[in-house]
Amino acid sequence: MSDATIPTNPRARKRAEGRYGKIGKALDELDDRLGVAKGGRTFMDKIFPDHWSFMLGEIALYSFVILLVTGVFLTFYFVPSSAVVIYHGSYLPLDGQRVTQAFESTVNISFKVRGGLLMRQMHHWACDIFVGSLVVHMARVFFTGAFRKPRELNWTVGLTLLILAIANGFLGYSLPDDLVSGTGIRITYSIVLSIPFVGSYLAFWVFGGNFPGTATIPRFFILHVLIVPLIILGLVGAHLFLLVRQKHTQFPGKGKTEKNVVGSPMFPVFIAKTTGFLFIVGGVTALLASFAQINPIWQFGQYQASRISYAVQPDWYMGFLDGALRIFPSWEFTGFGHTWPLEIFIPAVLFPGILFNVAYAWPLIERKFTGDNEMHNLLDRPRDRPKRTAIGASVLALLAMLFIASSTDVIANFFHVSLQTVVWAMRVLVIVSPLIAYPLTYKICLELQGIKRGGKRKTPNVVSRSVEGEYIATPTPAYHADEEHELTAVPLPTFIDEESETPRESGVRTVER
Amino acid sequence: MTSTFLRRAVLLAAIGLFAAGPVVLFMGPANASNYNPSQTTRKNAGTPNSSIVVKNSSGVVIKYGNKYITYTSPPSKLDKLGQALFMENCASCHGAQANGFPASGAAGAYPDLVGLGPATIDFWVDSGRMPDKDTAAVEASRRQPALTPAQAEAVAAWVNSLSPSPGYPDIPTPHLNRANEASGAALFALNCAACHTIEGDGDALAYSTFAPSLRHIPAFQVVEAIRTGPGNMPRFTGNLSDQQVDDIVKYVTTEIQHPENPGGFGLGGLGPVAEGFVGLLLGVGFLVLICYWIGDRS
Repeated sequence: MSDATIPTNPRARKRAEGRYGKIGKALDELDDRLGVAKGGRTFMDKIFPDHWSFMLGEIALYSFVILLVTGVFLTFYFVPSSAVVIYHGSYLPLDGQRVTQAFESTVNISFKVRGGLLMRQMHHWACDIFVGSLVVHMARVFFTGAFRKPRELNWTVGLTLLILAIANGFLGYSLPDDLVSGTGIRITYSIVLSIPFVGSYLAFWVFGGNFPGTATIPRFFILHVLIVPLIILGLVGAHLFLLVRQKHTQFPGKGKTEKNVVGSPMFPVFIAKTTGFLFIVGGVTALLASFAQINPIWQFGQYQASRISYAVQPDWYMGFLDGALRIFPSWEFTGFGHTWPLEIFIPAVLFPGILFNVAYAWPLIERKFTGDNEMHNLLDRPRDRPKRTAIGASVLALLAMLFIASSTDVIANFFHVSLQTVVWAMRVLVIVSPLIAYPLTYKICLELQGIKRGGKRKTPNVVSRSVEGEYIATPTPAYHADEEHELTAVPLPTFIDEESETPRESGVRTVER
Repeated sequence: MTSTFLRRAVLLAAIGLFAAGPVVLFMGPANASNYNPSQTTRKNAGTPNSSIVVKNSSGVVIKYGNKYITYTSPPSKLDKLGQALFMENCASCHGAQANGFPASGAAGAYPDLVGLGPATIDFWVDSGRMPDKDTAAVEASRRQPALTPAQAEAVAAWVNSLSPSPGYPDIPTPHLNRANEASGAALFALNCAACHTIEGDGDALAYSTFAPSLRHIPAFQVVEAIRTGPGNMPRFTGNLSDQQVDDIVKYVTTEIQHPENPGGFGLGGLGPVAEGFVGLLLGVGFLVLICYWIGDRS
């Protein structure tokens, strides 16, 4: 009797296995025990709006993954200690020098550990890319108004992530204890010292005594590899949870309203794209690490307080602070029994403090000025909010100028001009360029608003020859994504939405929020 | 009404203060106006401790030094050639007696060369800095030399013959096979990196002076520069022994001039500036392009 129920031909056997084959059967087994089907279905049907600029945050996410993986590898070999040893390794010019274990182990990672230099360089490049993509992602969120209600909290989380990323980048940069990073710690120590009233206490508390102490490297190590990454990881989770919970924003367009989400489902479209992107980010990082040398600490040598190299700059994301320090006039006075180093306090403490606090408060500030208390799931085109775009552009201009100012000496040497001339030029540019950027951006936005089909892809003309020999150019229709749409979405009755259920493009779906 | 006025006034005052700071600084004392970094009349660098001393028949030291560096006096038979070359190339500024008095022009406008020692003359001529092509520049820069090494030696020989007692140091020959590169690296970081940078690329210093790049400098010129202190550079005599100078020269001519760069392209040795540009433009820029490629446009 059982013979009768076992299908013998392959097609019938496949039919008996069910629609999804062996994998479907295995998932069925899982669902019977854990009940994952319902949640899994919702997750796989999660809709992500498609736009290239929505993928910028993913660069940051995946470079963070690379940082974690390569970082774990590096911790296997790095010795976070300031204990002095005599170097007898494979790099001859350092042979017999007194170095700290932190420095020695980093040189050993580069020259002795198999694949160590590649891992070190991938870690460092991934860090540069991580912070860079965070800034680009943040600019996208700012210029499109994605931070507005109800996403103010996620803006705050994201900004905290940026600050933590910069801080952790600095901590990691300091760990090898080489000549360049030691100079960086020295500058940071002085910046902490410059804070009025509490500076000296704070510096002793953070660095465990006077500079250069032996406590710095172990402390920075545990902060760099455990505490800060843990906070970053937690906040990344919160960031993504809020994203899923509040659903992603979308640009206005045909069929897109404040009440719906139009895009690709998690499975199979989005997951394929995003997984591919993970490997692309990893590949680009590995290519950079293979072909471009970064932070060759063996050329710098061990940091000692008596040694100094000229032309020392921090990593790029700290460049704006270094630039501000370099070009700020030497305002220092003595009074009330103390030295008041305003030349350090204003550019290195007050300025970033104001900058980041204004950034935190920006959603509130904008709401106060516009009086806009509505929910916003549709994004702005930057040109349609010229004032906000202009403010963002002028802040970016200011930061870019400060970044350039962090290499005053390199510029002076390269162009054979006086260092003083460069410093003064940068002082003027830092003040002038935001003032130029604002009206320029504002005007460009207004002009762009007036351009029909501005920023759209051109379509080809089909030229045909008629029987009489006449040539006729017929424009082909616009690309689907570029079709003219009403920017302010008209509220549609719900039944019309349900009518247009059929996907207009393969892989695109519309769901309720 | 009043609050608007008050707010505007405060805003204007803040902007005014911000703008006033640089203006005040512009009007500050120009305390560096009479600073002349090109003044290099450092006479007689002395004879360091030497285990080798060779004198000629009339008792003048023609060779001294030790197993690390030997200093050789240019032979006096070159004097006549040197005088001719000097008259042709140098006398219009330094004067016919090399004492800084040109035939026409103010006294003291040009350095007095008598008694500076052969190494100084040899360095300036052989590195192409003299004869000066751009007298308006604050600091002479390295150029294609106008005279051959033998001619430079001849000029040094004639100028040295002018002083009653011979000037030092003589023209050095470092023996790099006896040098310790590791010791040189440490000494370089301590004594040289503060201006020439730790990677030896050189950099701009204050008031249009600069520390030149060390990438293409022959070994004997590195010794000459250390021992004579050309231009703005300090003269290292007592605090560095010949052995230590030899070590530094070894490090400069190997690791600085031919860095290994096992990690890939060296990115010009510019450090985090170049790394930042590469990371942002190539790294982030390329990934953003990929976003644009695989993402949708709406």
